[in-house]
Amino acid sequence: MNENTLVDLDAMIAKANELAPLPASTVRLAQAVSSAETTLEDVAELIALDQALTATLLRGANSVASASATPVRSVKEAVMRLGTARVLALAVASSTRGMLNTPVTGYGLRQGELWRHSIASGIAAEVIPSYASVGVPPEAFTAAILHDIGKLLMTKFLSEEIMGFLRRAEEGDHLTRLDSERVLLSVHHGELGGLMAQHWRLPERIVTGIIYHHEPDAGNDVTADVTYLANLVAKQIEAGLDGRQLDFQPSPAVLERLGLRPDELPTLNQAAAKRYAQVSARYNA
Amino acid sequence: MNAADFTYVCGFVRDESAIVLEPGKEYLVESRLLTLARKVGLPSIEDLIGQVRTAKDPALKRKVVDAMTTNESSFFRDIHPFETLKKHILPEIIARRQKERELSIWCGAASSGQEPFTIMMILAEYFPQVLDWNLKFIATDLSTEILARARSGRFSQLEVNRGLPATLLVKHFTRQGTEWEFSEKLRRRVNFQELNLIKDWPVMPPADLVFLRNVLIYFDVETKKAILGRVRRLLRPGGTLFLGGAETTLNLDDGFVAVVKDRTSCYQLRFPQ
Repeated sequence: MNENTLVDLDAMIAKANELAPLPASTVRLAQAVSSAETTLEDVAELIALDQALTATLLRGANSVASASATPVRSVKEAVMRLGTARVLALAVASSTRGMLNTPVTGYGLRQGELWRHSIASGIAAEVIPSYASVGVPPEAFTAAILHDIGKLLMTKFLSEEIMGFLRRAEEGDHLTRLDSERVLLSVHHGELGGLMAQHWRLPERIVTGIIYHHEPDAGNDVTADVTYLANLVAKQIEAGLDGRQLDFQPSPAVLERLGLRPDELPTLNQAAAKRYAQVSARYNA
Repeated sequence: MNAADFTYVCGFVRDESAIVLEPGKEYLVESRLLTLARKVGLPSIEDLIGQVRTAKDPALKRKVVDAMTTNESSFFRDIHPFETLKKHILPEIIARRQKERELSIWCGAASSGQEPFTIMMILAEYFPQVLDWNLKFIATDLSTEILARARSGRFSQLEVNRGLPATLLVKHFTRQGTEWEFSEKLRRRVNFQELNLIKDWPVMPPADLVFLRNVLIYFDVETKKAILGRVRRLLRPGGTLFLGGAETTLNLDDGFVAVVKDRTSCYQLRFPQ
């Protein structure tokens, strides 16, 4: 690895490989959702084997926004109501909530802030397919939820000294946080998140979405485009903006690849904000 | 780091490598030198610069220049140039060189090897016949340390995650502990050599392809002109030069003409002899 960095990259990689694994049922579910041959029945069968996951799913399917007049009683009904992409997102969110709900000092995030941002991003990713004219793979929702997970690993290595250098790069040289990390540490939090997702044996597209959530052109995959846009929309939601006025400018190349017109963005934002208000309870956000 | 030390380091690095470090980059210089000072067992940046100033240790001077070079690299970096190489440039060159069965490639800022190995994978995947040709593939870099890494063909998981499709990882790399090692068969076709672009160049064969991507950006205009002039004399008629996305020959050397293929601008000789 690059020898000219302030952090020990090998130690970072080792730390990613020391993470506790995700529950086997979540990993199997992720792999099944990624496979084109998997049916709804296959997914339901996998979930039914895990009592905790079954309970999470039924709770999610019966939460305020998902509920209809008839409550969902079986796993199969829950999978049919939510769809496999949301089922996977729920399972992964449930497995990682403990981690994502912690403070992340290296990024100035108080307890609960990363969790809420993750859920807002996941919900934004759920809304994007209604506006995009390309097919959005089911892994995109999960990639959006996990996109900042690398911050949890990065923060462990950010000493006061390193934080000082990062601040000087951002304030003095006007670099983004991502570029500051890249220039000074030779690695950024997206890449560390990708390592964590690989360690958890999550599907390749989820890894790609996480790694490239700030640089979707390099990701060369629609999952990276959706994750990138979901992150921006989530920030809008968290800032309490209702979407009518945009305070961000997404990459035109991403919008073009997703088949989204810039004038559709305010409506998309509003829909995501509304959905977040309704659905965040599903994830206990 | 005080202003005098910063000015000294900038001047020293510029003399040795032509890399321009502008005011505002103090944080970068400090972070790199602090890392180096710790690595060589010196207590501070001031001690490190003191040793460089007294010129007692040429190896240390070399390490300072190495520390200031940016070795950011990835497989299939920016994607589009390699698509153009695969779809347009290589088929044309290979057709033209069919008779001689000879192909000459130079990567001028090879870093830890991702770019030359990307080209080797493209050859192996799409033009395997070229592997039986007289392939002269030279990959150079300023840094001896980074060249040693390139020759080893070893990459961390982080590095293979940068741009390398999983199918090619599985096909051309083998897992060695926590690292991945690039195919020895393809790796040994690349001849890694040390080369400082502003000093004397070793004798190199006329090149069909030159990759000099994301290196001119670190130089001033006069240095860029001088390097491009030398590249022009090295390039074979019909050969192609690839620069980085933020680089051009425009207003620097009118002996080149830009050729736009799909989403990539590359450069060929305006008046091939």
